[in-house]
Amino acid sequence: MIDVEDLCVTKEGNPICAVSQFRLASGQVAIAIGKNGSGKSTFLRVLAGLETSFSGRCKVHFDCRERVFVHQTPYLFRGTVWSNVMYGLRASGAERREETVHMWMARLGIDHLSGRNVDQLSGGERKRTALARAFAVRAKLILLDEPFSEMDDAGAATIAEVLCHNDDTSIIFTSPSDSYHKLPIAREMRISAPSMGAAEA
Amino acid sequence: MNYIWEGLREAGRLIFTLDPDVLDSAWRSVWISSAAVGLAMLLGIPLGLALARKAFLGRRAVIVFSRAAMAVPTVFVGVVCYAIFNRSGPLGPLEILMTPWAIVVGELLLALPIIISLTHNAVASLDVRVGETAWTLGAGRLRRCATYISEARSGVALATLTAFARCVTELGVAMIVGGNLPGRTQTLATAAAQENSKGEFARGLAMGILLLCISLGVTCLIARLGRERPTSG
Repeated sequence: MIDVEDLCVTKEGNPICAVSQFRLASGQVAIAIGKNGSGKSTFLRVLAGLETSFSGRCKVHFDCRERVFVHQTPYLFRGTVWSNVMYGLRASGAERREETVHMWMARLGIDHLSGRNVDQLSGGERKRTALARAFAVRAKLILLDEPFSEMDDAGAATIAEVLCHNDDTSIIFTSPSDSYHKLPIAREMRISAPSMGAAEA
Repeated sequence: MNYIWEGLREAGRLIFTLDPDVLDSAWRSVWISSAAVGLAMLLGIPLGLALARKAFLGRRAVIVFSRAAMAVPTVFVGVVCYAIFNRSGPLGPLEILMTPWAIVVGELLLALPIIISLTHNAVASLDVRVGETAWTLGAGRLRRCATYISEARSGVALATLTAFARCVTELGVAMIVGGNLPGRTQTLATAAAQENSKGEFARGLAMGILLLCISLGVTCLIARLGRERPTSG
């Protein structure tokens, strides 16, 4: 459960993100749509717990360890696709790790890249690796910053399929456009530059 | 020019015939420097990491001091160690002066600022997403620290290599607190200096070349350790 009201993030005196109201129940998928610089990423960072300096109310009823944030340009640790997808599982001490890694790599269509060094991946493959890594830890809240950027049609369809068939995880992702209307999205939030305010649709 | 060629030939002979005195000094140089650098890594890597990731009082001063200490003359460190370890010094009862352990301590003081500064530099220049990604994936403090070191491993390897090179080639500490005692505290650097001053140019050159070979070997070893090891299921 997420409950946000009159959220405002200010950096060096300039408001960079403002959200008047936003609510999301467990297991729902929401999209935050807005132009570049509208504060979408900052909003996700606040929800992830990475941005702690803000005014207003932001209640996320999940522990920080139950939230995963994926950057717009994800960072992959040195090593292979496999070691990256395994990272969060090792960190959390999860059981049946290898099985989980295999399953998420297969779901994101990167199982054939298992042993490949991350330096040899394309932009889309890097993104899918980061998404597999994020989903593998079975977080209760997954925050994805523009997951469809740099993706070809097949990659976008794969990610859409994963977003649609994710039972009890709340997912919020950002997008500069509203071209993902086919997804079963519970909340669609238009977010605009802070001076103009933000509104839930 | 002729004496240089003669020196090189003699150097080759001493190395390939495994001259016991040269090998003895070489082995001592390697273990003393390895021990000093190993201890410096144990102390310096966590400190360099803390300097890069944590804000605390005096942090800036520690960074400036450790950078300045990278260039401290080895003779100065030797004299300081001598003052500490001689019979009337504060650590005189340990009776380690004129033993290899005194050289280890002195070289530790040489290596520590290098490890701290270069580790700090390597970790501080990492992408901010490294820490954020590790944290958001549920990594605890220790795992995050391990991740920082792993991601900055080239910089940490360079720090180790630089520290080892400084230790294995230094003269001041080994000469002052070790005393250049053959078979006990003589290192390659002190032996090379001694042979040269005796007019034994070839032996001095042989030891210099051996020092170069050791540095080259350590460089290759560290480069190999820093390379990726693919792991997959």
